[in-house]
Amino acid sequence: MLVNLTINGQQVQAERDMTILQAARSIGIDIPTLCYDERLVAHGACRICVVEVKGARALMPSCSTPAAEGMVVETHSPTVIEARKEILRLMIENHPLDCLTCEKSGNCVLQDLCYEYDIKEGGFNGEKKNYPIDDSNPFFTYDPNKCILCGRCVRVDNELQCTGAINFIDRGFGTHVGVFYDREFDESVCVSCGNCVSVCPVGALMSKQPAKFRYWDTHKVTTTCSYCGVGCQMDLLIKDNKVVGVEPVNIEPNDGLLCVKGKYGYRFIDHPDRLKKPLIKKEGQFVEATWDEAMDLIVSKMKKIKEEYGPDALGGFSSARCTNEENYLMQKLFRAVIGTNNIDHCARL
Amino acid sequence: MEMVNLTIDGVHTRVPKTWTVMDAAKAIGIDIPALCYLKGVNEIGACRICVVEVERARTLQASCVLPVAEGMVVHTESPKVVEARRQILRLLLDNHPNDCLTCDKAGECKLQEYAYKYDVKFKEHDGWRRESHIDTSNPYIHRDDSKCILCGRCVSICAQVQERSVLSFGDRGYKTHIIADNERALADSACVSCGRCLSVCPVGALLDNRVIGKFRSWELEKEDVVCNRCEYGCEFELLRRNGKIVGVRAKAPSTDRPLCLKGRLTLDLLYNENPNMPLAKKDGKYVEVSWAEALELEDLLQKLEAKHI
Repeated sequence: MLVNLTINGQQVQAERDMTILQAARSIGIDIPTLCYDERLVAHGACRICVVEVKGARALMPSCSTPAAEGMVVETHSPTVIEARKEILRLMIENHPLDCLTCEKSGNCVLQDLCYEYDIKEGGFNGEKKNYPIDDSNPFFTYDPNKCILCGRCVRVDNELQCTGAINFIDRGFGTHVGVFYDREFDESVCVSCGNCVSVCPVGALMSKQPAKFRYWDTHKVTTTCSYCGVGCQMDLLIKDNKVVGVEPVNIEPNDGLLCVKGKYGYRFIDHPDRLKKPLIKKEGQFVEATWDEAMDLIVSKMKKIKEEYGPDALGGFSSARCTNEENYLMQKLFRAVIGTNNIDHCARL
Repeated sequence: MEMVNLTIDGVHTRVPKTWTVMDAAKAIGIDIPALCYLKGVNEIGACRICVVEVERARTLQASCVLPVAEGMVVHTESPKVVEARRQILRLLLDNHPNDCLTCDKAGECKLQEYAYKYDVKFKEHDGWRRESHIDTSNPYIHRDDSKCILCGRCVSICAQVQERSVLSFGDRGYKTHIIADNERALADSACVSCGRCLSVCPVGALLDNRVIGKFRSWELEKEDVVCNRCEYGCEFELLRRNGKIVGVRAKAPSTDRPLCLKGRLTLDLLYNENPNMPLAKKDGKYVEVSWAEALELEDLLQKLEAKHI
């Protein structure tokens, strides 16, 4: 069933279960959001998406107000803009003015909105948060002082990742996000999937980086994660031809989620310890060898084992890091050439 | 050409005798930070951010103006050098507004780049700060004195064209600031809004007023274009955001390529999908004029019209 409403003077037909935000976006009107995430239950916490609904008592959060028949909505009226400005003033008042060196700069929703609505400072001269920075997790840091309490991390953790490691603690001005008993991340049930980091709109949850870089010096290359058979889509952040970070892509099959391997298992790429040449053990020591030498050794040993103990004494284990074609050839080699069905693949685990 | 041998960060190199240490470092891929230095334009060794340690020299040396010498041993990132650079940055930031949140220069600002590189942050202090003095009198150039770091690039580039020479240093010591003519507002000065100063300012002190508030630098894709309004062929960049051209910007000028307002406006009209109307100074005041008038095409258009009839 459809409902008819008017947004900024434009007639819109919306599905009955659509919110004002969804109806507005369906006709190309952009309403700013901070806590909204289409994958999560609407939270209505940040209030930046408020709109004016004719006849309503107060401004309504468009992310959680259903579109209704005959509604007349203004998304950028002077009242709405002043409300958004005041919200931003309150947020920036209690946020470190650290864009000069903040790693999130250039990719920060709070920064984008302050620029759009021309907010330079709060101007209240009020109390400021002062929490210690949690550096305990090996993959990310958490600075509660930069948190705007949008709750995206809490909800992605509880609704989608289902780890339940983080939640809101305390009430009122003292509200903050943390793990149980207000301890550090490494003492919690956190599995370091990094999904909370991926959704954080500000610089509160930040991945630890292999090198210093500014977000605007990077470019993205979309690729498929090769750790398992799911095929998660992700963007590699590239700077000077080196991978410096991974961000999930919000399409199938992973819908913007990744696991710890996909999100953080990329540092081997440029790691100095990475094996780039084959090693052969000679007199108890690994010695660098050419590929020809290594292949000859493998072939001769496999032949010997097959002759002595039969083909079933050999087994093959293939990798998700290879292409489909390489995996096909691997099983062909084992079944047709060596003559055994002992062949498996890591993505089947 | 006479060559000299020197060692920079442990790398031995051989370069012409006329080069500076900064040139020699650049040639072997070592990037020394620079705020005031602009080759051929501003070689005054003012900002000191390019200092390097030269073995057996009494003090740190400004590499942008230090000629190479036989047997020189140079360290560009030694602890002493890094600490000097950090101290310079601290002093600059102490007298600079903490405004990166909304500053239009953010992402392209040299002060921000080096503060990030050397991990220097703004700090609260109750010392003096340069007063915010924003000159909005000129519709093409937005001048914010509080963000100026007195590198002198704008002064040098303005002076390269003889009849211009509008900008210069005024006052002395802590009060030193950039002035237009005899301490006038830009609109009341002899400034012809060519935009040379805009193209060289390393910070947010001089900004293109026509694009302020329209985009963040990191949202842009850039494409080079050559102005064909006259035979100089000044180089410009088209600024594209979400596929749409939202502005044109001059690349660094030189004595051979003067840049001018007419060229900038012509490119704006040619490429920008939604250009602001041009303004011209009439009786000392800027008023909106037609594109034909701003680009001095009225006579030509009249002639064309007459021929058609």
